[in-house]
Amino acid sequence: MRKSWSKWMMLLLFSVMVLLTGCNFGESSKPTEAEGDGKKAAEKEENGEKVLNLSLDNDIPDLNQLKTTDGISFSVLNNVMEGLYRLDENNEPQPAMAETYKMSDDGLTYTFTLKDDIKWSNGDAVTAENFKYSWLRAMHPDTAGSYASILTDYIKGGAEYAAGESKEDGVAIEVKDDKTLVVELIQPTPFFVDLTAFVTYFPLNKTFVEEKGNKFALTYDAILYNGPFVLTSYDQAQGVTMKRNEQYWDNDKVAIDKVNMKVIKEQSTALNLYEAGDLDKVYLASADVESYQDSSEFSSETEFRTYFIQFNLEKEPFTNENIRKAMQLAYDQQVLADVILNNGSKPAYGLIAEEMSGLDGKSFREIQGEIIKPNIEKAKELWAKGVEELGGTPQIELLTSDDTLSKDTGTFLQSEYKKNLGIDIKLVTQPFSGRLDTMRAGDYQVGVNRWGADYNDSMTYLDLWVEPSNPPFRGNYSNEKYDELVNTAKIEANNQVRIDKLLEAEKVLIEDGVIAPLYFDGLAFLQKPGVKGIVTHPYGASPDLKWAVID
Amino acid sequence: MKKYFLLRVMNIIITLFIIATATFFLMKQLPGSPFDEERLSNLSDDQRIEFLSRYGLDQPLSQQYIIYMKNLVTGDFGESFYFKGQEVADLIKHRIGPSALLGAQAVVLGITIGIVLGIIAAFRHNTIWDFSTMFIAVIGVSVPNFVFAALLQYYVGLKLGLLPVAFWESYSSSIMPTIALSLMVIALIARFTRNEMLEVLQQDYIITARAKGVPQFKVIYKHAIRNALIPVLTILGPIVVSLLTGSLVIENIFGVPGIGSLFVDSIKVNDYTTIMGLTLFYSAFFVLTMLIIDLLYGVIDPRIRINGAKE
Repeated sequence: MRKSWSKWMMLLLFSVMVLLTGCNFGESSKPTEAEGDGKKAAEKEENGEKVLNLSLDNDIPDLNQLKTTDGISFSVLNNVMEGLYRLDENNEPQPAMAETYKMSDDGLTYTFTLKDDIKWSNGDAVTAENFKYSWLRAMHPDTAGSYASILTDYIKGGAEYAAGESKEDGVAIEVKDDKTLVVELIQPTPFFVDLTAFVTYFPLNKTFVEEKGNKFALTYDAILYNGPFVLTSYDQAQGVTMKRNEQYWDNDKVAIDKVNMKVIKEQSTALNLYEAGDLDKVYLASADVESYQDSSEFSSETEFRTYFIQFNLEKEPFTNENIRKAMQLAYDQQVLADVILNNGSKPAYGLIAEEMSGLDGKSFREIQGEIIKPNIEKAKELWAKGVEELGGTPQIELLTSDDTLSKDTGTFLQSEYKKNLGIDIKLVTQPFSGRLDTMRAGDYQVGVNRWGADYNDSMTYLDLWVEPSNPPFRGNYSNEKYDELVNTAKIEANNQVRIDKLLEAEKVLIEDGVIAPLYFDGLAFLQKPGVKGIVTHPYGASPDLKWAVID
Repeated sequence: MKKYFLLRVMNIIITLFIIATATFFLMKQLPGSPFDEERLSNLSDDQRIEFLSRYGLDQPLSQQYIIYMKNLVTGDFGESFYFKGQEVADLIKHRIGPSALLGAQAVVLGITIGIVLGIIAAFRHNTIWDFSTMFIAVIGVSVPNFVFAALLQYYVGLKLGLLPVAFWESYSSSIMPTIALSLMVIALIARFTRNEMLEVLQQDYIITARAKGVPQFKVIYKHAIRNALIPVLTILGPIVVSLLTGSLVIENIFGVPGIGSLFVDSIKVNDYTTIMGLTLFYSAFFVLTMLIIDLLYGVIDPRIRINGAKE
């Protein structure tokens, strides 16, 4: 008896041992890097190598550029791949795979000339054909990528091809020779060169992709690279390691030899790792901002993502313009951004995000100025007028998502309306996709919504309310004047006339009381003193480590 | 015995079938789809359906259910919607390693320490030993393990620098998460063992053994423990399953690339195939563990041999 029961214990212990050996620890457990354990700060200069340690806040879903849609995958791909252009620190496109481009006078035809010495990481030359292949693949109906529209909205014939209505030769992408790519657009698009810096516009090597088949981009050796770095390991749950790409045309300018991007989902853990010297940059939760904001390592960046209140113009009481306008004026964005959110967000006095490009180096916001500012007196007046017109004080329910920041925003608005208008509004919170469902169904009075820019132009916002394909989601707004402003701006080749129309459109949208801007999303972060030149962009693919330096 | 075993296996299959069906229909009640909903919201309902149809998500639920079940029978769990191009089976296989390692270590550590503490407390009943052991046990049950994990990380990892703060790079990365996970097990097992031991020690056969002059150690090892452990075994099943299948919080805190967070994340992003795959995996693991535990009863206590319960 005694024997058998010890036998069970032995068996249990044995199976644990088996598990232990079968368990995959990260790349760094390899003998060559084992000494990095626990003294990462010292590793920076090891063997004279410059190593950058960054974190990713969730798993890496998909490194297949044709299908991927999330910021984490973008942040990896942006550093190992390269499009025709690459955005610099001012979000201006700089020649990358392309040497130069020519635009026709009507702004519809772009002729890109590729650099001579550009190569894939296996030594093959990057050709114009690689771009055509990749763009067509991204638009192909079978690919069914959520980002196909960033190609089909601009490239002539793209939409028909994506819908399966036409063949490849219907798409206006032409390869003149190995180094010349000609693209014809549907309408003049002043930001088209910016777009070529985006992930979906990266080239692909047809031979390589077809050789890998459905294993493409699932492992680090199933991707061919043409950017400043190449991946040396890739685990969706652990992150990636990169080293410099010796084949990269601008390799001389890249100062970093190795990059670790590790998945750390818990913000407090990332902060501990930063304190321990294991990370060079860390984003802060609102709660941590206060204790670090006086540090010299503290800084913040804004995103092209605006949070705003969306009124549903078909639901009582928001059929009444005075009620909508009163609610636009009765809260203080400044307090919301600085006190409630306190994460680097900026108060929004218009829809278009701060620093979004306008004309001739000036931002849209600089030209437009502040359209709407809190005005309690006027709000009270408008409210009283609205109530009179309605014939009674309305019941209001505000719909928000159920994450902490959204709930805080909701509570803030509730107390502001109580304080300034003397009304009690009810809060309804739903999970993110539940809120979207409800809004799509038009089953809300007023809700907090947001939009993140796809490209650096106000059109990415203003286009949303033009005869929306799902009207309830955009508050059932319909104004011919607004539609005409945006639609004529779309085909306008003169940039001055174009921007004037867009500036006017933003004003109309807010004056009609369709939305009420809340804040521009921001991120507070800490960065180690010696680390410089990590370029982040407020939209699209970010960060860019090409110009990063460690002193 | 054979018949009993066959019956149990039949039972397991039916259970799994019911779980799969229920999960499938409940999961489809979640709002949204596996795709970028913010972007899809710009599409009209027709365009949306057209997009979803490329993934077979426009078909009636019953149709989707039949297709899924057919694939399942052939052992095909499908491709993840979120981790595009990844087979769900591969995803689970890849993530289970770290979670199982932590779980197994926590179970072994927890049971060993728990039983020892429980026995000490029982034999030194109503002494300082008993009180301090039970104090530890109360703390273990009432302090959530993530608080303990955060404290460990801050003091042992950051302040003292004895172990890596997080990441999954070498064996030392697994030590703190294991300790954090085992705390609850230690507490539960210690309390249970103590109570059972106290009861067993009242039994006639223990008194007989002592009257015969059997040494203390032999009384504990040969007569008391085995009988006291039977109820402990009962609570072990659920503990083993929950630990081996990963802990969301502990894995997130220590940056462990395990399976714990995968489940919650897949629900958040409506990754249907992964939700189904993981639910079935968890359930199968659970019922199999219960089966093993039932068989283990027989080993530890011949009185509960299965064929003994013939009537």
